[in-house]
Amino acid sequence: MSFLVPCPQCGPRDVYEFRFGGETLRRPSPDATPLVWTNYRYMRVNRDGNAREWWFHRLGCRRWFVTERDTVRNVVSASGWATGD
Amino acid sequence: MTDERLPPADGEVIDRGSRLRFTFDGKGHSGHPGDTIGSALAARGVRMLSRSFKYHRPRALLCCDGRCPNCLVEVDGIPNVRACTAPLREGQRVRSQNAWPSLAFDVLAITDRLDRLLPIGFYYKTFYRPRRLWPLYEKVLRRVAGLGRVDITARPDLAPRTRHLHCDVAVVGGGPAGCIAALEAAAAGARVVLVDDQPALGGHLRSRSLPVHGDARIEGLSGTRAAQRLGELIAEQPGIETLIAATVFGIYEGTLLGVNQGQTVARIRAKRIVIATGAHERPALFDGNDRPGIMLGTAVLRLARLHGVRSGHQVVAIVDDGYGWSIVAELVAARVALTAVIDIGSGLPTPELPPGIEVIRGAAILEGTGSRRVTGLRIRVGAAERLVPCDAVAVSLRPEPATGLIAQDGGERRYDDRIGEFVAARLSDAVSVAGDVEGIHDDAHTMASGALAGLEAAVAIGLGTQDAIAAARTHRAACRASALARHGRPVALDAPGGRKQFVCLCEDVTVKEIAQGIEEGFEDLETLKRYSTLTMGPCQGKMCQGLATRLRATLTGETLAAAKLTTARPPFQPVSLAALAGPHLEPVRRTAMHGRHAALTDRWIDMGDWKRPHIYTSVEEECRAVRERVAIIDVSTLGKLEVAGADAGSFLDWLHPNRFSDLKIGRVRYRAMCDDAGIVLDDGTVARLGDTRFFLSTTTGTIDAMEQWLTWWLAGTDRDARVTNVTAQYAAVNLAGPRSREVLERLTETDVSKAALPYLAATEAPVAGVPAIILRIGFVGELSYEIHVPSDFGGYLWDQLTAAGADLGITPFGVEAQRVLRLEKQHAIVGQDTDGLSNPVESGMSWLVKADKDDFVGREAIAAVTARGPQQMLVGFELPERTVPEEGAAVIRDGRLVGRVTSSKWSPYLGKTIGMVSIPIEQAADGSEIEIRLPVGTVRARVATKPFYDPAGLRLRM
Ligand code: FES
Ligand code: FES
Ligand SMILES: [Zn+2]
Repeated sequence: MSFLVPCPQCGPRDVYEFRFGGETLRRPSPDATPLVWTNYRYMRVNRDGNAREWWFHRLGCRRWFVTERDTVRNVVSASGWATGD
Repeated sequence: MTDERLPPADGEVIDRGSRLRFTFDGKGHSGHPGDTIGSALAARGVRMLSRSFKYHRPRALLCCDGRCPNCLVEVDGIPNVRACTAPLREGQRVRSQNAWPSLAFDVLAITDRLDRLLPIGFYYKTFYRPRRLWPLYEKVLRRVAGLGRVDITARPDLAPRTRHLHCDVAVVGGGPAGCIAALEAAAAGARVVLVDDQPALGGHLRSRSLPVHGDARIEGLSGTRAAQRLGELIAEQPGIETLIAATVFGIYEGTLLGVNQGQTVARIRAKRIVIATGAHERPALFDGNDRPGIMLGTAVLRLARLHGVRSGHQVVAIVDDGYGWSIVAELVAARVALTAVIDIGSGLPTPELPPGIEVIRGAAILEGTGSRRVTGLRIRVGAAERLVPCDAVAVSLRPEPATGLIAQDGGERRYDDRIGEFVAARLSDAVSVAGDVEGIHDDAHTMASGALAGLEAAVAIGLGTQDAIAAARTHRAACRASALARHGRPVALDAPGGRKQFVCLCEDVTVKEIAQGIEEGFEDLETLKRYSTLTMGPCQGKMCQGLATRLRATLTGETLAAAKLTTARPPFQPVSLAALAGPHLEPVRRTAMHGRHAALTDRWIDMGDWKRPHIYTSVEEECRAVRERVAIIDVSTLGKLEVAGADAGSFLDWLHPNRFSDLKIGRVRYRAMCDDAGIVLDDGTVARLGDTRFFLSTTTGTIDAMEQWLTWWLAGTDRDARVTNVTAQYAAVNLAGPRSREVLERLTETDVSKAALPYLAATEAPVAGVPAIILRIGFVGELSYEIHVPSDFGGYLWDQLTAAGADLGITPFGVEAQRVLRLEKQHAIVGQDTDGLSNPVESGMSWLVKADKDDFVGREAIAAVTARGPQQMLVGFELPERTVPEEGAAVIRDGRLVGRVTSSKWSPYLGKTIGMVSIPIEQAADGSEIEIRLPVGTVRARVATKPFYDPAGLRLRM
């Protein structure tokens, strides 16, 4: 793994500067069924292709942001600050 | 010993004026500065350097270019050094490998005669059954199959380094194509890094003496001079950094090159890469093609031109097209004692040669005769067979493009019928190729394609001009057309199938074995490779991949156009583990009071990156001071976060099972935090220092994760809350013990009485004149104060407190005493007494879950555990004896594992062993008996659900 991650604050940096934060998820509402909660906690899409993911710039600005990454070619095509959704 | 040096000549790199002494297998030799170990041995007439892997056949210099397995030796305890490229140094102790007991008399050479017993796939066939004999097979295989040995007593002088380079254009290969590409790119304004694996730039030109044509910069110069000139031009051109004697071992995602230069690994991040890796000559296929003395033509040339070493007195060259004839011309110019040239298929007219060199056309080579040294080539011309005597052979067949890096990068290699080679058919976006790697061996084309690649790379990153490119493109196209017009066809492989025609020298795989493998059904090159271990040796297929691909096509009747090369993976050349590991750097964090501790103790404990005093005097003495007098511990390593903003309180409510929005200013509350699976992540305290300002502590090891956890929950929300990691901003001590208030009173004007600053109160006030946060909390169950001051004052605070408490017997205490004391109070440590499956309900923290709260992180999961009821519980245990079970020891019932000890210590103060266990709820009642496994036997312990010390908690409220 040696691709570059474009931090919205610092620009493209070596992936080793970052912590991977996993797929972006939508947290269920408190009254969701146990099955929905279990899926949220443990099940991941693990998409083969473009995935929306969290990254944290550990050795840089120490901020979280969201990327679009092609998980096959390891190319990050877009990154930006998280929005409310 | 013979002396095989030629008279001095222009272009040689050795210094004949001085000598370097070294030994080979214990025997003394000498060479000159500028020699490699291989050239120095060749000059002494030493041919045989190693024994082959499977059949233990004698092997000698073959490529003289670091690309084959033949010259692997052990140098000063470091195995698998390539003699032909390793510079000779004074006093080196060189040993042969794979030979036992000696190179000349090798017992296992008998395997050469027994090849019928070592068929292809012999590992699979022979050593598969019976399974129970594996240990025996393994022992034998170790000895037979060794590739060098590791001398575990050797202490080589290693100083590995890592470098990071960033550039616009990285050029791989410092031959004419690479040098010119670098010059053009840099002239257009690009920052260039040029990497070459030879000791000097110039590539193949270094060992050529005939004039070079095709580029004005070096037009008409001899090869040697042209190489030097290119080196000068590169040095003069601003914007080029050159790494020589450096191998690119891999191309990785993000146009990253891994480069090994001695003990340094350089990571080069480039915008564009130009691959100008050239081409390697390929060995010829005939029986006994591995006899010592049978070498590649460029190897003979290199030894003669660079090191002034004669490879033989009667040298025969084998050629198959114009490339071979150009090498023959160079060999003649280099005074190599050529006696014959065998043309196996070029059909080109014979160039003018000095008298005494026989030219044999249309011959097939049948065998290399001899044993430890080639004595002749048996050939067939028409129907007649004859023997051409010789003591060295220069195999100068058309070289194969070195496309390994192209493939690693995801480029595609295809057989180009016009060129007759496997070349790049598709490249990844940021990569271009130049020079002989394109399969064309012509100086004018090489340099034209180098110039074009350099310009194109510059233009791709927004430098240079399109016009310049257009001109370069036209020029290159013309050079290519003219080179192709003269380009011969490769000679079809003729594989009569002899027993000792080696395709893969590394793994000793012969033509016959490949034929047999295909017959057995391993037709696909990738499966054939795994079955035969073909291309899997130390050279990683550099010598045999092309041969194997062609041979397989011939044997299966498939066209080369349909054929594939095997997958290329890093490393392209071996890299030592030490170089890859890089320097041994371990970050260490020291608190602001570190120097004070160092004056008192040398017993440290590592906690994360931190060093903390483990014990100062004795655990017993330190515990006594805490319980009876006053004591002080450095707690600067605690993680500290400041959470501020109008929504800070509600944000903390969201993250915790308990509540903070209702915490009063000047009060502290215990906190434990869970994730949405209800797992306890961390604990600590929260102090409210202002209406919108909270001061959190975390455990030492989790601060980074906690900072990330909190900021992650804030990201993308519009909560008015800011999280700042202030761990390094504050130094802190805990002043503990019944007399701690007296000490603090001496240093502060603020009222720290029980009424003014009761248990769980917080205030900000100067201590010893330093602004401080004072929290009335503690971990050890006594009256205590956690005092935070700006880091710069940490040492000062320590001094002031110890001085102020001197008459009261103030004593520093370390981590070990603290752990015993907290265990006496049954305070759990998250991460020690809990693990990645612990929820608060089963960790004895139910009391802090506020069931009436709205949604918070972990609520659903905690509610589910609460509903089903706890199955395990974290409780205390005690043992009347001085048996201390190991932390992690099993708790068993009826012989079954039911729980584990999470902490256990001998408490000198209480005079018993105490600890924490996680056990089934049925056993967790106060007073029940549990059985704990010891290294030998078991011990019965009593469950204790209340703190062992001061169960009512009166002392900390004093
Ligand atoms: S002769 Fe040294 S690697 Fe080939
Ligand atoms: S010759 Fe090295 S792997 Fe085949
Ligand atoms: Zn950043």
